[in-house]
Amino acid sequence: MNAIVLAERLEAAPLASSRPILSIQDLNVRFGGVVAIEKLTLTVWRGEFVSLLGPSGCGKSTLLKAIARLVEPTGGRITRPYADLRVGFMFQKPLLLPWRTTLDNVLLPVEIQRGGNTADAAERHSALRMLDLVRLSGFADSYPHQLSGGMQQRAALARALMCDPDVLLLDEPFGALDEMTREVLNEEMIRIWQSKQTRLSTVLMVTHSIPEAVTMSDRVVVLSARPARMIEDVPVACAHPRAPEDAETGAIIRRIRAMVRSAR
Amino acid sequence: MTSRAVAPLAFGLVALAAWQAIVTILHVPEYLLPAPTAIVATVDRALVVSFAVTFIEALAGFLIASLLAFAIATLFVHFRTLEDGLFPIAIAIKTTPIVAIAPLLVIWLGTGWWSKIVAAILICFFPVLVNTVKGLKAADLEYRELFETLGASRAQEFRKLRIPYCLPYLFSALKISSSLAVIGAIVGEFVGATQGLGYLIIISSAHLETATLFSAIIAAAFAGIAMFYAIGFTERRLIFWSSGETE
Repeated sequence: MNAIVLAERLEAAPLASSRPILSIQDLNVRFGGVVAIEKLTLTVWRGEFVSLLGPSGCGKSTLLKAIARLVEPTGGRITRPYADLRVGFMFQKPLLLPWRTTLDNVLLPVEIQRGGNTADAAERHSALRMLDLVRLSGFADSYPHQLSGGMQQRAALARALMCDPDVLLLDEPFGALDEMTREVLNEEMIRIWQSKQTRLSTVLMVTHSIPEAVTMSDRVVVLSARPARMIEDVPVACAHPRAPEDAETGAIIRRIRAMVRSAR
Repeated sequence: MTSRAVAPLAFGLVALAAWQAIVTILHVPEYLLPAPTAIVATVDRALVVSFAVTFIEALAGFLIASLLAFAIATLFVHFRTLEDGLFPIAIAIKTTPIVAIAPLLVIWLGTGWWSKIVAAILICFFPVLVNTVKGLKAADLEYRELFETLGASRAQEFRKLRIPYCLPYLFSALKISSSLAVIGAIVGEFVGATQGLGYLIIISSAHLETATLFSAIIAAAFAGIAMFYAIGFTERRLIFWSSGETE
């Protein structure tokens, strides 16, 4: 199973023949009189890492919430061609429950899905594996207030992975962290997306940082200020690991920056 | 902890010694101000029984009121119309002084245990209700969205998010109402009783047995303090994640 997913991912560039994992057509979202998203069309292919780049308050988080079915669209359609598609969501804040240990926080999705109260040995084992994957092995029994901001966000990532999602929706996942921690966690995110240990194939990430979007994604979807409309869909074909200082990556960053400035 | 207790203890002992000295030197009559030693001399089996009676009445009222308030708060959070309809009634009960209601309770329930327990319930109920409703609604929208993305049912969200989130709010209300419960029980005893600290206070003041009156007052204070600290102790054990800034 994992091998097949990886093979699909290695094809990298979206092929016309492969099936979309998410398809958004003419999406409209309004809250009262405020139009958050207007006529947005976007297709996400299996295996892609896509960034939604836009200024603060442009409606990109609303788009992610609409995909996660937290927000009801007022027009258009969001289709998920795979019936059994599992979607994980990661918020800007870690949102760990302070009365639970790290391990119990990671187990929360399983408890909710199964409807029980305590996890069995197999579930605990897979939660420990997730903690291992996000490099939090020694902190299973720590409480959130004993962890640093970066570690809390790692735990939140482990919890999101615990649902065994095909698609991970990231809402500025490391936006509240300091620059250095953020860079490290961005690299970790890429490593986990590329690793064969989960069935995660596709990532859709909201960000307002141009370098972050370009160094991480296969495609950067540049959105306008509210209401969010697509300005351009920029493919990034450079190999990982990337740095903003790389010639090719740097050129794309500069291109997008110019694009965002002229759109203002 | 122990070193912090030394200073208040020392001041207390000095104050008691001064009190004893002034009463002895100035020959203050005992019905006006009894000496600490005279007060200690009145501690007998009757006082202990009175204390136990009042404490049990207050504790029973406190426990019943807390459970009832929590149950009703749960209903309020689930059914908005119930909250809109019943909250004004709860406020009406709260704003009526317990001293004004107590005689009615004695007419209805007699001079036994229940008139005091109900007085304690009436005085404890409101703070617990208000804080529990507030606490059950306090979980941030983001946490509720998290539970929604995980596909949690309303019952799961309530049990795994709202109730633990509410605990700091609940406990700050319990601390308030634990000392109120003793007031409720004593007010009930003032109006009509055959035992308890309230009864002892009324009788000893009528007979100008001021030393007994003092020991009854101190016992009443001790009942409230004991309840308050028991709740505080439980709170610190149970809610280890909160620094107790919620009110």
